[in-house]
Amino acid sequence: MRQRGTLYTYTVVHSGTEAFKDRTPYVVALVEEDRQIRLARVEGYTEGRDIGVGTEVEFMAEDPGGQPIFRFI
Amino acid sequence: MRSVSVIGIGETKMGRFSERSLRDLILEAGEAAVQDAGIERSEIQALFMSNFNAQYLCGQGHIGPLAAEVLGLGNAPTLRMEGACASGSLAFRQALIAVASGLYDLVLVGGVEKMTHRSTEAVTEGIASASDFNLEAGLGATFPALFAMIANRYFHDYGDAREAMAICAVQNHENALLNPDAQLQKRITVEQVKNGLPIADPLTIFDCSLVSDGSAFVVLAATDVARAVCRKRLVEVVGSGHAGDTLTLATKKSLTTFAATVNAVKQAYAMSGVGPGDIHLAEVHDCFTITQLINGEDLGFFPKGKGAFAVADGKTAAGGPIPINVSGGLKAKGHPIGATGLSQIYEVVTQLRGEGGARQLPQADLGLTHNIGGTAATCVVNIFRGR
Repeated sequence: MRQRGTLYTYTVVHSGTEAFKDRTPYVVALVEEDRQIRLARVEGYTEGRDIGVGTEVEFMAEDPGGQPIFRFI
Repeated sequence: MRSVSVIGIGETKMGRFSERSLRDLILEAGEAAVQDAGIERSEIQALFMSNFNAQYLCGQGHIGPLAAEVLGLGNAPTLRMEGACASGSLAFRQALIAVASGLYDLVLVGGVEKMTHRSTEAVTEGIASASDFNLEAGLGATFPALFAMIANRYFHDYGDAREAMAICAVQNHENALLNPDAQLQKRITVEQVKNGLPIADPLTIFDCSLVSDGSAFVVLAATDVARAVCRKRLVEVVGSGHAGDTLTLATKKSLTTFAATVNAVKQAYAMSGVGPGDIHLAEVHDCFTITQLINGEDLGFFPKGKGAFAVADGKTAAGGPIPINVSGGLKAKGHPIGATGLSQIYEVVTQLRGEGGARQLPQADLGLTHNIGGTAATCVVNIFRGR
């Protein structure tokens, strides 16, 4: 089974920087795994999806900067 | 350490002035402060300048000599301080320390920012440099996104504060109606805030501070010198504190209490010998509406988790027991980043002198300014007393 975490907090971003403006809306979150909290992007968000603190997410990959990317399960 | 007082203040109107240059903004606010102090510019022994990001936004560095040239300060020493959105009060605190130490008797502190000539994406990217540009912005976490995450965690820990956040925005807009220097003079409603253009949930455009051009200056003098010069009510800097925290959001011990604020205000209260219950007005850093709620708690005005209720209950309105942001705050007066901390001081000094005109508070002898940079990675708090 893939490594899982939960949302410690999150937001749906609607207005991004130049590099991200075509990807909105997208989710960034602080993901908690084994009491460790990391900033992550969470892929697979669609408008209206019910997410909240505690929602489970699954580790996907690291971005080029070494930051984690998760996805909704 | 010697006692230090504010003897002069000046600021431009905040707004969208894409046709005005940095020089132009500096000249207006700087001259106003020098004139207000009633001093000759030759008496100014040093200039402490604040600017966040003119290098990126305007292609202009070396703001110190630029401002000294514009204001005719000859060979006076000058430097530029940068601490993101706290740059202004950071420059103020360095000037304060320099006068308190006895090194200088009379100095000028100034701040300037020019932002509105750039696109929203460029401004968003410029502001993102106040967070960890690679780790946070690089992942898509804009500044509003970082504070939106703080808001959602606050809701989880203390209950839904959406209504109180909206009331913050409404109240600051209401206050700005009476401030001729405010960028936005427009009444808004709670429903408008909640249903505004979404930026990063739960924040809408109305929860975010403004993108502004503007400048603000303050003249500081050793209090014994100030007594001989100052023709207005003397405003003494009775307390000052400065603290920091980690740069990135994920590494902070708490998202819903800003440790930098708690530590800075503790220093300022200890130095001044006053407490939160003694303060008559505060200008606090409302970069986002959620920040203003948290600030009210961290500064000790309200118990932890009760800041939202206090705001919703009108406790921070101009007529309430602890008026917060009677200037209109960053939300409606404006947020020209490098000038913001000094513009907060401009408002408190104006109120303590009784020069607030239509927005003058009936009792204003002790005022506080609170200015944070980044996700509260830098915080400066100052406390002022009218003598």
